[in-house]
Amino acid sequence: MNGIWLTFGFAAVLGLLGVGLYGLLISRNLIKLVVALQISVKAVLLGLVLAGNISGSINLGQSLAITVIVTDTVVAVIGMALAIQIRRQLGTLDVRDISRLKG
Amino acid sequence: MAPWLILLTIGIPWLGGLCVWWTGDKHPRLQHALASAFAVIGGLVSLGLLTIPSNEVVVRVPVGSAFGDFTFVADGLGIYLAIIAAVIGGLAVIFSKDYMEGEEQLGRYYSITFLFIGAMIGLVLSNSLLLMFLFWEITAFCSYALISFHNDDPKAVAGGIKALIMTQVGGVGLLAGAVITYAYLGSYQISEFLQNAGTLPSGVLGLIAFGFVIAAAAKSAQVPFQTWLPDAMEAPTPISALIHAATMVNAGVYLLARFYPAFEAVPGWKYTVMIVGLTSALLAALTAVFTNDLKRTLAYSTISQLGYMVYAVGTGAVFASQFHLFSHSVFKALLFLGAGAVIHASGTRDMREMGGLKAQMPFVRTVFVIGALALAGLPITNGFFSKELVLEQGLAHGPTWAYICMLVGAGLTGLYSLRMVLMVFYGEPYAGKKIHDAPAAMRFSLTLLALGTLTTWLLVGPFSELLADSLPFHQIQLTETLETCLEIVTAGATWIALAVVLLGMSLWLLHNAFAKAAKPLQPLTDFISGGFGFEWLNRLVVRATKGAASALQFTQTGLLSWNLVYIVGGLIVVLALIAWGG
Amino acid sequence: MIYTTLLALVAIVFAVLAIQARRLLVSALWLAGVSAVISVVFYLLGGRQVAVIELSVGAGLVTVLFAFAISIAGEDLGKIKPAVPTVIPVALALLFFLLLAWFSIPTGALQPPQGEPGLADVIWGQRGMDVLVQVVLIFAGVLGLLGLLAETKGPLAYPVAKEYAAKRDRELEALMKEREEREKL
Repeated sequence: MNGIWLTFGFAAVLGLLGVGLYGLLISRNLIKLVVALQISVKAVLLGLVLAGNISGSINLGQSLAITVIVTDTVVAVIGMALAIQIRRQLGTLDVRDISRLKG
Repeated sequence: MAPWLILLTIGIPWLGGLCVWWTGDKHPRLQHALASAFAVIGGLVSLGLLTIPSNEVVVRVPVGSAFGDFTFVADGLGIYLAIIAAVIGGLAVIFSKDYMEGEEQLGRYYSITFLFIGAMIGLVLSNSLLLMFLFWEITAFCSYALISFHNDDPKAVAGGIKALIMTQVGGVGLLAGAVITYAYLGSYQISEFLQNAGTLPSGVLGLIAFGFVIAAAAKSAQVPFQTWLPDAMEAPTPISALIHAATMVNAGVYLLARFYPAFEAVPGWKYTVMIVGLTSALLAALTAVFTNDLKRTLAYSTISQLGYMVYAVGTGAVFASQFHLFSHSVFKALLFLGAGAVIHASGTRDMREMGGLKAQMPFVRTVFVIGALALAGLPITNGFFSKELVLEQGLAHGPTWAYICMLVGAGLTGLYSLRMVLMVFYGEPYAGKKIHDAPAAMRFSLTLLALGTLTTWLLVGPFSELLADSLPFHQIQLTETLETCLEIVTAGATWIALAVVLLGMSLWLLHNAFAKAAKPLQPLTDFISGGFGFEWLNRLVVRATKGAASALQFTQTGLLSWNLVYIVGGLIVVLALIAWGG
Repeated sequence: MIYTTLLALVAIVFAVLAIQARRLLVSALWLAGVSAVISVVFYLLGGRQVAVIELSVGAGLVTVLFAFAISIAGEDLGKIKPAVPTVIPVALALLFFLLLAWFSIPTGALQPPQGEPGLADVIWGQRGMDVLVQVVLIFAGVLGLLGLLAETKGPLAYPVAKEYAAKRDRELEALMKEREEREKL
């Protein structure tokens, strides 16, 4: 892979990561938050596989990516379980309404 | 064999904690029995460590290139402290069977106690600075959890948090030293550090040295960090015996002794250590004279005796300091457990509400008097030999004015020891309460400790052999038991010290005569009881922190989105720093 | 190479669509799209096995999970205005992108590839610890899930939940009234 495509590749990873972070900060619904988190993780996966490709050890990149996929699926599951429970107990998924601090 | 021994010595207490926690609080008798069993097994296994003293790395666990290897070394210094932690800790656990009779949440109590014992053993046996820091932090957490065990009592919780914060300050000093060592030497191994300490630039070595002094002072409750120890007396008394006699406070003295060869050449280090020990010894001894709470008196006496050990390290008498540490662990545990028996029976900690207990608690009186004799430094207890050795070596290697101050301290020690014994056991009985003598489990621990107090001084020969053979950098001289004892008994310093101690005691006996003269000195007494102004300083710091926290409260919106903004913002700041610096 | 880059750009577009979608289910579907496109990119980069795994897990399992969670939790009358002023997330995302871009994007070519053991060897041989960690993680995740979804108190047992339920009822009433009035006209 030569120079310019390499740059584009990494720029794509960073762009996706930036979109994910933006979504994280702007989401008002908890489940949207989990979606944004998932997007960030996809970006990381892309970065891992890209790095594996250009350094020649694609299998190392793949095994790390598989580990990350397992981890992020578990995170998504727990996140959604939390969202369900919050919805049950507090009646809302809105970030503004679930704050419990006074003042 | 040796790796297994080390792993078992750490692992058996931890396994015991897990088992006791698993049995659940619905079976308290089973919990007590399991705890005592594991305590005994752990103590016996730790004695097995005596067979393998060496300064070779025994266990090596590679944990990645950034952290070096986690290694364990079973040398003399580590072995004897591990045995103290396991055996005396085990005796405290056995004592708890009767002390914590009928208490709730025993699972939490025992599991954290065992975690503590295991972590302390790991601390003294580890050869990697990072691993030592890890165990250091575990003991800090456990001490917090145990001091505030009665978490519905605000005083206990406050005491626990105070202990946590102050020992964490020390932890920062330790971590800073460890990281600087790694940065310059590329390794966290203590043996390598001791070997190559001379190659570090002197400013850096000084930084590490004083960082470790802060860590040791905070952990061993020396000036200016001594205020946490008296407040930690809210813990159940067996825990006080564990923390303040057998384990945690020993960690600071251990740190100083372990790293002494590396730091003794740093200008001003030995002097600072000596001053810290001296000040703590005198301050605490003076405060103990005016304290009416039995456990607080013992707390101040612990600070004072630790001051003696630190002073000894400061004058270069490392062996004397370790010998005194050994004796102190035994007799201080004896005193704490004896006090525990008294408190358990009489329901109060105030000595003015006790008195005349000798008739109702003859067994406890006997063992407590033995412990008090050791504390004061009277023959033939181990405290006599070790304290005299400290004083004698201090006179030989250190400035004479320091020796005189420590002598005054010894006199004060005699004074408050006698005061303690007289107020609790002699005099007129205060209230007509039905007081029972110590039950069986308490007696077991107390007997063993009392026997230890009377006999451990006989081990000074093998002890010096243990240390001398396995500590290549420390230059400890081999001595024989008889030779050392004879030397101590015939030294002029010993007789001077004995005379001062007896003088102190007689001053107490005559104290009523001084009472009228002491009236106008009341403000001075209040100042001393208030910890020489250190408590006021602490309160000031706490108020300032709370004020700053209230001022910054507007940033805590509780909104998830804002928290995420802060997280991402922090990430960006870190990235910017890396980009700019790299 | 050009296909890889184009597909990555498509993925970014899908991601933006997922973030700004109003309905949660639509958002989840765009996320599935991102997954699918990314898995094709993986395939083109040579990671064939991880492409399959990403397709089935990301576009399959996670989307089903989302649909399940959304059906239980229900859609809200989606408000669009975010909780923090919009300029802050935009600025932070841009800053992040620029910073990382500045010191991590390589501009030259890299060394040619060397020989390498097969995927199974790498996973079980070199990265064996990872597999152990993944097992522990899954176990912990299952335990967490069971603990979280346990039925402890009823949905409206907390007083604050009653307030929100009341608020929702009032908003629903207001919407109903609005609709009636519109129908009258």
